[in-house]
Amino acid sequence: MTELAVRGARKSFGTLEVLDGVDLTVPAGSFTAILGASGSGKTTLLRIIAGFERLDGGTVVLGTEPVDDGRHTFVPSEHRHIGYVPQEGALFPHLSVGRNVGFGLPRGPNRRARVLELLDMVGLSGLHRRYPHQLSGGQQQRVALARALATDPEIVLLDEPFASLDASLRASVRSEVHDVLHRAGTTSILVTHDQDEALSMADQVAVLRDGVIAQLDTPAGIYQRPLDPGLAQFLGESNVLHVRVERPAGERAAIAATPFGALAVEGWPSKAAPGPAQVLIRPEQLVIGEAARSALVATVESYEYYGHDAVVRVHPQSDELPDLIVRVTGGTPLVTGARVGLSVAGSVVAWPHEAAHRDRVGPRGPRA
Amino acid sequence: MHHHRWPGHRRYGPPALIAAALAVAVVVLTPVVFLIVQAFQTGWSTLQPLLFRSLTGELLWHTVSLTAVVTVLCAGLGTVLAWFVERTDLPGRRIWAVLVVIPLGIPDFVVSFGWRAIFPSFGGYWAAVLVMTLAVYPLVYLPVAANIRNADPAQEEVARSLGLGRFATFWKVTVGQARLAVLGGSVLVALVCLAEFGAFEILGFSTLTTEAYTEFKVGFDTAAGCAFSLILVGLGAILLVGEGAARGKGRAARTGSGAPRAMRPRRLGRGTLPVLGGVAGVVVLALGVPVGAIVYLIVQGGSSTVPNTSIWGATVTTFGYAAGAGLVGTIGALPIALLSVRFPGRPVRIFEGASMLVLAVPGIVVALTAAYVTVHFLEGRWYQTTPLLILAYAVMFFPMAIVAVRSAVARAPVGLEEVGHSLGVRRRSVFWRVTLPLIAPGLAAAFCLVFLETATELTATLILIPTNANTLATGFWAQQTNLSYGAAAPYAGLMVLIAAVPSYVLGRWFDRLPARSAAAGVAPAGPAGTATEVLAGATMAR
Repeated sequence: MTELAVRGARKSFGTLEVLDGVDLTVPAGSFTAILGASGSGKTTLLRIIAGFERLDGGTVVLGTEPVDDGRHTFVPSEHRHIGYVPQEGALFPHLSVGRNVGFGLPRGPNRRARVLELLDMVGLSGLHRRYPHQLSGGQQQRVALARALATDPEIVLLDEPFASLDASLRASVRSEVHDVLHRAGTTSILVTHDQDEALSMADQVAVLRDGVIAQLDTPAGIYQRPLDPGLAQFLGESNVLHVRVERPAGERAAIAATPFGALAVEGWPSKAAPGPAQVLIRPEQLVIGEAARSALVATVESYEYYGHDAVVRVHPQSDELPDLIVRVTGGTPLVTGARVGLSVAGSVVAWPHEAAHRDRVGPRGPRA
Repeated sequence: MHHHRWPGHRRYGPPALIAAALAVAVVVLTPVVFLIVQAFQTGWSTLQPLLFRSLTGELLWHTVSLTAVVTVLCAGLGTVLAWFVERTDLPGRRIWAVLVVIPLGIPDFVVSFGWRAIFPSFGGYWAAVLVMTLAVYPLVYLPVAANIRNADPAQEEVARSLGLGRFATFWKVTVGQARLAVLGGSVLVALVCLAEFGAFEILGFSTLTTEAYTEFKVGFDTAAGCAFSLILVGLGAILLVGEGAARGKGRAARTGSGAPRAMRPRRLGRGTLPVLGGVAGVVVLALGVPVGAIVYLIVQGGSSTVPNTSIWGATVTTFGYAAGAGLVGTIGALPIALLSVRFPGRPVRIFEGASMLVLAVPGIVVALTAAYVTVHFLEGRWYQTTPLLILAYAVMFFPMAIVAVRSAVARAPVGLEEVGHSLGVRRRSVFWRVTLPLIAPGLAAAFCLVFLETATELTATLILIPTNANTLATGFWAQQTNLSYGAAAPYAGLMVLIAAVPSYVLGRWFDRLPARSAAAGVAPAGPAGTATEVLAGATMAR
């Protein structure tokens, strides 16, 4: 069953076109992440779904009810039966925790019981008399979630709810929120610019780029089989090499001829002719070995140690290749200038040349 | 930006809100409009001789030269005092910080009354300069002190590290940063000087405002009143436009985040005594003289001159008028403030700018047009009635109300209203349960500001008050006009208590609020901004 369907959504502010025909289907009970760089329009899309903004064109259907068609139909937010968790929680500062959670509930004897039940669900029993400024950032975020769930919404919208939390707190609040939403069984949509967050929390990830959904897939699918180099870069660190892809006679799988030797190519379109292409090699696919036994020799340029793993930047001896990024598990640090051998584990993704000309999604630094 | 808008009303806002704002703007602009109507009705041939007679030239010179000198003196005194109190190890800084502000709460005409009571021959141009400077320098002191307090001390440190001397640092960094605050405060000072009536009347110094009053009250000469009003509004408009131009695009702001560190105060060393003497001198002259005179007169008068029950009647009337004006002004400011924050666009900016134009209109002009309109167009039906008086107060002090309400609305995040809607709560209900509680402190601030101003208003009250009613200000005025200083003193004392004490409490309260809400970790919502921000903001006619 479909909980939310967005079709051809268009929205501009003045001359700035933010959404340019967004299509998005969200199955009931699923957890969908909308991932995009800042300024990609992901928050605008969420605000349109919430009813805080109106469409210029296209439709939004919640359940079976069209709520916005860009013309005459517009169901205001208060009639959409959604839950909304904004950035930084946005708790009502003048109301106690209990009153915040009970804000959307009708007055009556059941309200108090429901509030206590919700606070219990988010692990904040006994705090209903506190005020928002007496809570930590993570607690505020959980109160905001309880408040959103109070009215049993069909769908919960989360607008970068973890962005303002300390890195140390973020992971734990994330998983708590995920558990609560999972137990509540609601459909959830999370807007974020954080790849880790999207990949780790969601059942499906929609990457928003240039006002359209550039790819919609499972987290594994979107990481392992990005549709173009720009998406690959955006989803994580990547090495992209210019190579030739061949399809040997009689073989089903295509083969990429790379400096590492011949690599099996995944997802090469069956109709695509052999020819120049780009391949994606994720940093964790590269394996560092002894120089003497490897097809490719490189020197270590830098070594960034993160504890659980480390990122090594290497400079291949062959001048035709760019510097490569390798992710290794902790272990002994490598010395700058050391000569190492490189090989590739597993199959790779390749794009025929035309697909490879897409823009990048956005700037991206190394993952810590 | 789009994030501040309510959906459903694509561009300009809910029609009911627009209608309300429009109605308020029309009322507020009535004095200016009718001044122009009146000028046309009177005709150029009548106005020309009035505008260009020698009396006008003389009064214009009085007004302009006094305004200029007082403004310069206040700018200097306010800035230097602010720096000594905020940035040096002056002994007793906290007490001085309170004492130097209190004169703002004492009505100007009470200050000159106090001087006159002690020195009976006190009067003329320099007396007027002295009294006005002592009475209104806090208008510069308050915004500048707030600016210095909030400025990042690291900037002064950087300047020193770059090789600037003490004085160069003070001039280029401290004053440079605070120049918008100095400018805003100075424009307020100048506007007050243009509008002042009572203080000059007591000192026997005539300006355009005192003469406009005399022409109206004595000769009931609307043509002459109109001519003087035109000049006064023109001068006020020049000030506001000039300020806008001087303000330009310059912005003093902290870049980067984080709370500013507390500054280690500059040591005065051997300068301590002279500076202490100077600051104490200002306080004695501005606060000690008027308060001392009032206390002396009351004590000396004993029970023989302490009047009568009429003073209590006047107190009740004063509270009633002030509360009424505070209520009307605050409620009137709400639609324009909501529109200007939630639907910022050109139409709203015109509303807001127009309502700020009232700053340039002295109270006497508001009163004269109110009298003119009721006498000429309504056959005197509303003239000298309580509703008209309260409306006139609300119009005169509307800029204060709107600045307070507007900054409160601007600090109430629209995101909170959106959350309320998303929880299935109806719009009207969200307004009552979320918006109103969040902006309540701002509404209270607006009410208090208008209340305090109204409680000590004299000029418009004298013209528009119902025949048998008396406020503290008019009661005081009647006594002092008869030279019954002893009988006038209790009225003055009560006004000082009503105005000075609460404005001090209010100021402290506002100064603390933002810090508290910032500590809440949620988006700072609610408080209306410091009292100084309100005062400084009042000059920002955008």
